[in-house]
Amino acid sequence: MGSSGQGQSNFDLSFKILLIGDSGVGKSSLLVSFISNAVDDLAPTIGVDFKIKLFTVGGKKLKLTIWDTAGQERFRTLTSSYYRGAQGIVLVYDVTRRDTFTNLSDVWAKEVELYSTNQDCIKMLVGNKVDRESERVVSREEGISLAKEFGCLYLECSARTRENVERCFEELALKIMEVPSLLEEGSTVGKRNILKQKQEQHTPPAGSCCS
Amino acid sequence: MMYGSTHSKIDLAIEYQAQVPALRPSIRARRANITVKFQDLYGFTVEGNVDDVNVLNEVREKVREQGRVWWSLEASKGVNWYLQTQLNSTLKSSLKFSVLVNAITLKRLIRKGIPPSLRPKVWFSLSGAAKKKSTVPESYYNDLTGAVEDKVTPATKQIDQDLPRTFPGHPWLDTPEGHSALRRVLVGYSFRDSDVGYCQGLNYVAALLLLVMKTEEDAFWMLAVLLEDVLVNDCYTYNLSGCHVEQRVFKDLLTKKCPRIAAHLEAMEFDVSLVSTEWFLCLFSKSLPSEVRLPFTLFSYTLNILTPHC
Repeated sequence: MGSSGQGQSNFDLSFKILLIGDSGVGKSSLLVSFISNAVDDLAPTIGVDFKIKLFTVGGKKLKLTIWDTAGQERFRTLTSSYYRGAQGIVLVYDVTRRDTFTNLSDVWAKEVELYSTNQDCIKMLVGNKVDRESERVVSREEGISLAKEFGCLYLECSARTRENVERCFEELALKIMEVPSLLEEGSTVGKRNILKQKQEQHTPPAGSCCS
Repeated sequence: MMYGSTHSKIDLAIEYQAQVPALRPSIRARRANITVKFQDLYGFTVEGNVDDVNVLNEVREKVREQGRVWWSLEASKGVNWYLQTQLNSTLKSSLKFSVLVNAITLKRLIRKGIPPSLRPKVWFSLSGAAKKKSTVPESYYNDLTGAVEDKVTPATKQIDQDLPRTFPGHPWLDTPEGHSALRRVLVGYSFRDSDVGYCQGLNYVAALLLLVMKTEEDAFWMLAVLLEDVLVNDCYTYNLSGCHVEQRVFKDLLTKKCPRIAAHLEAMEFDVSLVSTEWFLCLFSKSLPSEVRLPFTLFSYTLNILTPHC
């Protein structure tokens, strides 16, 4: 919320990342685990929430605005507008619940296709809760093959133990930076307001010359 | 009767609430950065710096003052005077001056806050929950919850997933007893209105209603009257259309009533529904201290939050 002029020197690039997936797969936990190194039991997200993380990857100072969405089906009418302008989308499932995995192709991939405005947007499949290995029902191989089918990145992680959590966002950011159009967006869009959803041009403040 | 034990457990949880630490201003200045942690009226842990706590203390004192007003009115107008003031059709047809005066007094009083001990009775009666309950057989709630206990639907699956995530760590809600009471209310309601079923957010509302109303059945009827008669239609149904309407109305109201704040948010390109959606869907149960939660005047309340000094 600080003035946009001063914030510019803090980072080189700014990207918008979106977390989607069924209710209870651990989207908020993944985000909190990444931001603050600690995870308590979290309450269900109502609507949307976002957090900002500054970190350095590949010698670049990045500012990631990560949008966390509610997973329950009926909230999709609220969350769909947040796909707009995202450079990275993380599709999260729970390795201990098969329905959360099958819903990625049945539901979430379709949502991305429908609402993402960015053709080159990088997608990443993330299987969460690998700390509960004994309860696992979705194998790593299945995850990898679905990721291949979607043409997206793949990682398994645990928000609880923080295993692979940082790596997940790092790999996503690196991949985004490899795409010229996204890199371009990151260096221009980023200088504008982080909370901005719309892609319209910045309207200058009302001038004094005319009314 | 069936849930007598539930009852006492809630009371217990509330009984051991710690007193808000009272700090003198001189100490306050030096301790501005100290975090104070205590349990509030309904057993929630509140954490904040000394200034926050002092604000809460002020609110608490105001509620206490309000309590004295309620008691003195009760002394002069008789116990339960406020239960006979509803502006219903009978009132319109026989406008008695004293009734009208009482109704106006009551409205003013409610805006200022209802003392916690009177909340169950006042809410239950004035919201229309009592009337709603009276239209069905006595055993309705027990029959309903008994009949649907073992049924599995998408709604019950989501409810079961959310029970341990609803105010985790609360001394009563986060116990097997609290979970099953909340489950019965939510599952019962999901079968009463299959269009709503279960929508995330209702878990917080129902949980707080359980704490305030003290009995599970009254909490159920409060939830029913809120969704069916008090709130905008379709707030929680499949595509949340009512919720979208609320957000639009709220944005228009904000522009109209608080143009400077609206313009400021606009300049920052901040879409206020990003935060207000949760406020409306959870009726503030997730975002405010117990002292000021669950207001009946949703829109003006939200405006007040955004514009404490306007």
